[in-house]
Amino acid sequence: MSLTRRKLLCVGAAALGAAALTGCESLENHFAKPPPPGADALPPGPSGKVSEAARLLNRAAFGPRPGDIAYVERIGAAAYLEEQLKPDAIEEPKFLQWRLRSLGDSLNPDPGLLFDEDDKRLVAALRQATTLRAVYSKRQLQERMVEFWSDHFNIYAFKNEGAQLKIVDDHETIRKHGLGRFRDLLGASARSAAMLGYLDNGVNKRGAPNENYARELMELHTLGVNGGYTQRDVLEVARCLTGWTSQKHWRRGEFLFDSGAHDNGAKTVLGNLIPAHGGVHDGDRVLDIVAAHPATAHRISRKLCLYFLGEAPEPLTASMAKTFQETDGDIKSLMRLVLNSSEVQSSAFIFKRPFDYAVSALRAFDVDTDGGAGVQEHLEKMGQSLFGWPMPNGYPTQEGAWLGGLPPRWNFALDLTQGRVQNTKAPLDALIERGIAEGLSSAQTLSSLALGRAAHDPETSALLARFPKTMDARAQGACVLMSPDFQWR
Amino acid sequence: MSVHSPARRQFLGRAALATIPAFLRPRTALGAVGVNSERRAPDHVLVTIFLRGGADGLSLVVPYGDDYYHRSRPTLALASPSKGGGTGVADLDGYFGLHPALRPLLPLYQSGQMAIVHACGSGDQTRSHFEAMATMERGLYGAQGPASGWIARHLASAPWRNPSPLRAVALGSMVPDALRGATSATALQNVSDLALHDLSSVSRAQLHECLHSMYNTNNGALGAAGLETLGVLKTLEDVSSDAYHPANGAVYPADDLGRGLMQTALLVKKGVGVEAACLDHYGYDTHVAQGGAIGLLAGQLTTLGASIAAFAKDLGPERWARTTVVVQSEFGRRVEENSGAGTDHGRAGVMFVMGGSGVAGGRIHGKWPGLSPEQRDGPGDLRVTTDYRNVLGEVLARRAGNTNVGAVFPGLQFSPTGVTHA
Repeated sequence: MSLTRRKLLCVGAAALGAAALTGCESLENHFAKPPPPGADALPPGPSGKVSEAARLLNRAAFGPRPGDIAYVERIGAAAYLEEQLKPDAIEEPKFLQWRLRSLGDSLNPDPGLLFDEDDKRLVAALRQATTLRAVYSKRQLQERMVEFWSDHFNIYAFKNEGAQLKIVDDHETIRKHGLGRFRDLLGASARSAAMLGYLDNGVNKRGAPNENYARELMELHTLGVNGGYTQRDVLEVARCLTGWTSQKHWRRGEFLFDSGAHDNGAKTVLGNLIPAHGGVHDGDRVLDIVAAHPATAHRISRKLCLYFLGEAPEPLTASMAKTFQETDGDIKSLMRLVLNSSEVQSSAFIFKRPFDYAVSALRAFDVDTDGGAGVQEHLEKMGQSLFGWPMPNGYPTQEGAWLGGLPPRWNFALDLTQGRVQNTKAPLDALIERGIAEGLSSAQTLSSLALGRAAHDPETSALLARFPKTMDARAQGACVLMSPDFQWR
Repeated sequence: MSVHSPARRQFLGRAALATIPAFLRPRTALGAVGVNSERRAPDHVLVTIFLRGGADGLSLVVPYGDDYYHRSRPTLALASPSKGGGTGVADLDGYFGLHPALRPLLPLYQSGQMAIVHACGSGDQTRSHFEAMATMERGLYGAQGPASGWIARHLASAPWRNPSPLRAVALGSMVPDALRGATSATALQNVSDLALHDLSSVSRAQLHECLHSMYNTNNGALGAAGLETLGVLKTLEDVSSDAYHPANGAVYPADDLGRGLMQTALLVKKGVGVEAACLDHYGYDTHVAQGGAIGLLAGQLTTLGASIAAFAKDLGPERWARTTVVVQSEFGRRVEENSGAGTDHGRAGVMFVMGGSGVAGGRIHGKWPGLSPEQRDGPGDLRVTTDYRNVLGEVLARRAGNTNVGAVFPGLQFSPTGVTHA
């Protein structure tokens, strides 16, 4: 027993990112594959529902990997959350760093180098990296925020130079500021060459302004469609942003203010006079106004609630909106309110979108994957190719959009467990062996890993009773992932 | 419209209602709204193509006879038929012309199988894609009204039963808002995707049984969706699209819309009970470099025209006569072009209604509001003179056979625009 315990602590420490390598495993092993789960990987609890730790991990993370539930239970939800709110202090697993590095220069956020590369290869690399991080990163909340803001500031990678520039945007906007201050995030997005290209502000010139970015800035990025702006404000914001573009040749992809294209007249935005001759400051002034607007505070708070809780109770939304205004849009403070709220445990389950579904399956079964073409093909069939949503509002979140598309999910589960997804291997035998040591059947082991319920939970028993007796463990794994229970988080 | 058409008989024989499990009953709240009797569904397929992004109606059906058009679009205006040669618009009535990239649709227009309604739209004033799309897909004029989709309400209120799990399909990976609340709505990119992959230790039948047992315990929307999905899989068990060859020499463009219409034709021919098929075509938000006879918009329209022409040809006269295609978009675009040789969000757009019979084609319907500055709406947009719901309502009443227009479009003072023959 003591041996197991020691092994567990070693693996646990590495797995938790507290300290990278504790000496209990060789460096090579870390490069080679994900660390094995700890012996106490199975969620405990005598009976009943999804464990509290599993619920938290389904919201703040992309679901539990083996060992995660035990870890959260050991340190407590609040401590886990604080740890997640300081992602830079969490060391990433070496094998993840290694795999990301192997994607090479295609992820180097230096646009100068990126323009030498092939578009399709770049998008594939960014998708692969995003998937790998969602599956293996210890900084799970950061990856959740990346998903949230990548939808909020959606950029279609196949328009203009999106393939190159979205890589820069992912690094310099979404990842850099996703847990920072909203005004900084918004400012980085407004100056991002990817956004300037995607929403056409790069060609917004005085005389006949292009409204595209100005409108979505207020409608989607800040105030919301009922946030109190008018068509007149759209035109005035567009005028303020004339000349905001990016370098096309030398230092291609960097922000450029083209003063010759800027409308230097006076403007009025949401009742605020912006005096003539403000130059590039007109745009910054607009960003200050919309970022500080109460409608923005309320809307971002509400959207975070919906993403993390599936509902936006008014008292919580209001207190978040208040915090938003008091802290100058400090996203970490908002996250503390959302994820420490009682609704994490009490709100209804949220229907997983395809990316969530695939990543949570890969995590639950401790799958060894390169996150490449094999997984991406399935995501495309399921309807959520990353950075492939053409409209500026991001992939739909309501379950009605996704409920009609179950067959590709089921086929992902079948292919994953049968070993038919390219460069992707589910170590079911190893997981089951550990379960046997605990006195559990294969189906009990796999279902408790995926569903976050105790192995002897009556609901789990009822589910497993529906499996044909002749089913082997791989088929049981598939059925667990195909079950209605696993479609929710 | 014969009930004894081959397609109909094939449907009844194949899926033979009896083989569709008893659990496939309307389960959603809308099911209760239905005035279902034992009447059989009319042999009609409604195909909607939604041009996402706000298609520039003034470029699709060009008012080349209006001087303001040419003045407002110094770089974007398409050439008049006489001046442009091959790059000019195809004349429709001496005043309007069809975008040259839509020429594949010209024979349909000329033979009376394509009606155009210009200057139509909703009352949405936000000029937001998402508000305007939601308004139209919910079948509203303003923002207030039911949350369900208009096609879902059509299917729920139609005075017949159709237990097919493929009654409403979305050709893509998601179900659009127009089908929200439908008793069954299946999203599919490709018919061949609708088969479960193999498992080594159990048969497909055992797997289906296991899934049925798991989803049958879930009473919510997911349980219903799971059971309906199993019905779809069963219905399509031996329909594979791998060997599908379009008929009559039809050639579909190789993009999502072409593929989607080809899959629609396949389903229609298989007679699996499809009543409504929804398709999306993206790429109409042309703020920059919209182009003219060639370019960004022309590229989309080339696909659009060729896809619909191939679909009509592939279906053949008999099935095409029992099909109605509606093309719509959330709004049209600003009359004046912008500094990026593009156009910003506007108001009224254009709709197409097409089909092999019953369509009052070869005409441009609606009231033309004019393009002079004082005739424009808001920041300079084409004014809406036809409520798009009157076009859809007429298609439902006269083509799809559902006269219960009031249940589909609550609050509408229904006034048919004459795009169909009574």
